[in-house]
Amino acid sequence: MTHRILRTRALIAGIAGCALVALAGCGGGASGSQGGSSGPVRGGNLVFANPQDAQSMNNTTTFDNNSIWIFEQIFQPLFTVTNNGKGVMPWLATGYKMSSDKKTYTITLRKGVKFSNGQPMTSADVKFSIDQNRKAAQGWGYIDTAISSVDAPAPDTVVIHLKFPWAPLLADLSLFANGIVPDNYGGKTETQFYSDPVGTGPFKWDYWHKGSALKLVRNPYYWQKGKPYLNSVTWTDVPSDNTRQLQIKSGQAQIDQFPAWSTVSQLKATPGVDMSLFNSTETNYLAFNEKRKPFQDVHVRRAISLAINRNSLIKAVLFGNGKPANSLFPPQVPYYDPDTPGYQYNLAQAKQQMAASSVPHGFTTTLLIPTGNSDYSTIATILQAELKPLGITVNIQQLDPNTANSNFQSLDYDMSLTLWTMDIPDPDELATFGVDPNSGAKSFFTAYDNPTVVADTHKAEEVTTPSVRQRLYNVIQTDAARDAFMAFLYYSPYPYVTTSNVHGFYVTPLGNYHMEDVWLSKQS
Amino acid sequence: MGRMTFVLRRLALLVPTAVGVTIIAFFMIHLIPGDPARTILGIHATPRAIAILHKQWGLNRPLADQYWLFMDRLVHLNLGQSLYYGVPVWGLITSRLPATLWLITYSAVLAVAISVPLAMIAASRKDALRDHVVRAVPLVGLGMPSFWLALVLQTVLAVKLRLFPVTGYGAGLTGHVQSMFLPSLTVAVALCPVVIRSLRASMLTVLGAEFITTARSKGVPGARLFVRHVLRNAVIPAVTVLGINIGFLIGGTLIVEQVFAIPGIGSLMIQSIFQRDFPVVQAVTLVFGVMVVLVNLLTDVAYATLDPRVSFDR
Repeated sequence: MTHRILRTRALIAGIAGCALVALAGCGGGASGSQGGSSGPVRGGNLVFANPQDAQSMNNTTTFDNNSIWIFEQIFQPLFTVTNNGKGVMPWLATGYKMSSDKKTYTITLRKGVKFSNGQPMTSADVKFSIDQNRKAAQGWGYIDTAISSVDAPAPDTVVIHLKFPWAPLLADLSLFANGIVPDNYGGKTETQFYSDPVGTGPFKWDYWHKGSALKLVRNPYYWQKGKPYLNSVTWTDVPSDNTRQLQIKSGQAQIDQFPAWSTVSQLKATPGVDMSLFNSTETNYLAFNEKRKPFQDVHVRRAISLAINRNSLIKAVLFGNGKPANSLFPPQVPYYDPDTPGYQYNLAQAKQQMAASSVPHGFTTTLLIPTGNSDYSTIATILQAELKPLGITVNIQQLDPNTANSNFQSLDYDMSLTLWTMDIPDPDELATFGVDPNSGAKSFFTAYDNPTVVADTHKAEEVTTPSVRQRLYNVIQTDAARDAFMAFLYYSPYPYVTTSNVHGFYVTPLGNYHMEDVWLSKQS
Repeated sequence: MGRMTFVLRRLALLVPTAVGVTIIAFFMIHLIPGDPARTILGIHATPRAIAILHKQWGLNRPLADQYWLFMDRLVHLNLGQSLYYGVPVWGLITSRLPATLWLITYSAVLAVAISVPLAMIAASRKDALRDHVVRAVPLVGLGMPSFWLALVLQTVLAVKLRLFPVTGYGAGLTGHVQSMFLPSLTVAVALCPVVIRSLRASMLTVLGAEFITTARSKGVPGARLFVRHVLRNAVIPAVTVLGINIGFLIGGTLIVEQVFAIPGIGSLMIQSIFQRDFPVVQAVTLVFGVMVVLVNLLTDVAYATLDPRVSFDR
């Protein structure tokens, strides 16, 4: 399993107040990374070469990115993420009003929106969709825990009642899991519906040959006039990096999701293909298990964080295409603080921290990584060498991905590598996931417990004034960095290769893309 | 014993073999650490969510109960549901088996098409240059890793010359023949050296036989002699060699399936092991086991058909 497959879609949370809601037009969508000289052309089938098959089209229970990026073309939420990944804009909604106690949101729906079966979308569909997600106990239901009820007083109006003021609400609503499906699944069972799903998105269901290809075709009722441009989009499963690259070169596929980093510079120079590095929210970390000695000692964690040369990792793993991380949050997330004092390489200070620790002469430990992930193997080897001057002997423990993941989540490890990406333009989920030991993730599976940080995290959820939230998140980032509960390693972009006839393809920092904006010119 | 009785007896032996395969596959996949619920829930796996899925899938029950349930379903020709996709395993296998069968059959056909003429060329003049070349050059194919050979074939024949698609299974008969050529050739190149050597050796033995000398003295022309007398007699040991190698091949198609993105059951197997999709791993292992037994049976039948001296009696 590559680190791409491990990639999480961290999600959540919102944007405070209307200030962050771009009331810009609905037709915004994605702006192209490449432009065509003669304007969009209709027609064509675009083929993605994906490293892994989708898992399910059920948007309320699926955590797998390969599925999410596909069903986002079928189901659409009321609000969507802006292109810079830092806000939301109206999508199937046109606006909203918040009550003075900040516990009731009245949302107006866009007129003229139809499902791909021709049925108009109404507030009953919206109520059903959000209620379904709230029920998804083993899915994304927790995202909507602040919601107490949803009303549909008129066909174009939805009212959401909250249990308490909740800043991330609009960002929560922009999550794919809150995408709109027909009321009562159009009379089908849940299983029947998701095997032939119907939504308001630019594409509708054609077929899914599991392990081979999934195809969507143009939705003739799509609400953005003139879009989508493509007749169809097909996602094919091509596990081998080399094979995906050959498919692009031969024109058999048009977009390669995640080429190997080692090929990026070569692809940049290859005629007929465009290599894009999109700003992302992907952040890579070294996690310490504070249930194991000596990682409950902050000096040990700081010493290790200080001994890691981030630039050498970026050079070796990303071939220079990344930036050292200084915070738990990535720069593309609202409330990221560029001045967060995350530890950077300083061997002298690392030795001082080690001397002040409970193990001044060093110790032996293990670094858990999954097999088959060459990036992680490289990082592990570098860390092994970099921690030696501190007297730390690192044994690399390679386990198959499922077992490694299982051990990591059960806190059965000393140190491990992990990463995070956002899906919703609000830091709440990452903060809760990362620093709250009482969340399901036990502080990113590190058992880190700083009551002040936890309290600030929950305070930031209920405050809707952006400046106050910024102050709170600055403190959270600083405290988490000083505690060095994880070593923040690097921020990585999203690499995508397209053939040169692909236009308008853009990936937001959260990983979403809008296929309705993409078109194909004739291959030169 | 007639041929039919022999075949039926061998088919009956499939039952204990299949049961053995199910026991080994079931307990081995459950012995490996890892949890399908964690695959599906990813980093969002909370103890509650894991417990819900375990209950839904019956993984909270004792292992013996789970095996019994699996066997009970199997008797009713129900292979269960895929934990990952949530669809019947039978449907997954039947949709992916044709690609693997195509690959195996096409590879065997290509291996024969390449090996027979080369073995004839080699055997036609023992220890001459052509014999050495035929014996030496295919060995390179045996030594080349299949993923590397696949890459070379894809780069040259698919990307540069655009003669074949880089990947895929194709649609329709022509599509399959075209799309599956490169993967089948990759497999065949590894098969050929063994078949050529075996065929060449048996051809040389046959060429030394008295009936060949007789045929020659009667003035049978070279080509006819080779095809009608030498090849027919020499092909028998080669069939066994080919049969055994196809048995290995069935388990070994997965690399080629991965590299050429062929939706076969080899790649399904790999994917399911990583995802701990227990019902699919068990079912695919069973299918592989049955296929190996059937290929061995077909080899034996072919052997006896080609050589009338071989009896079906044991």
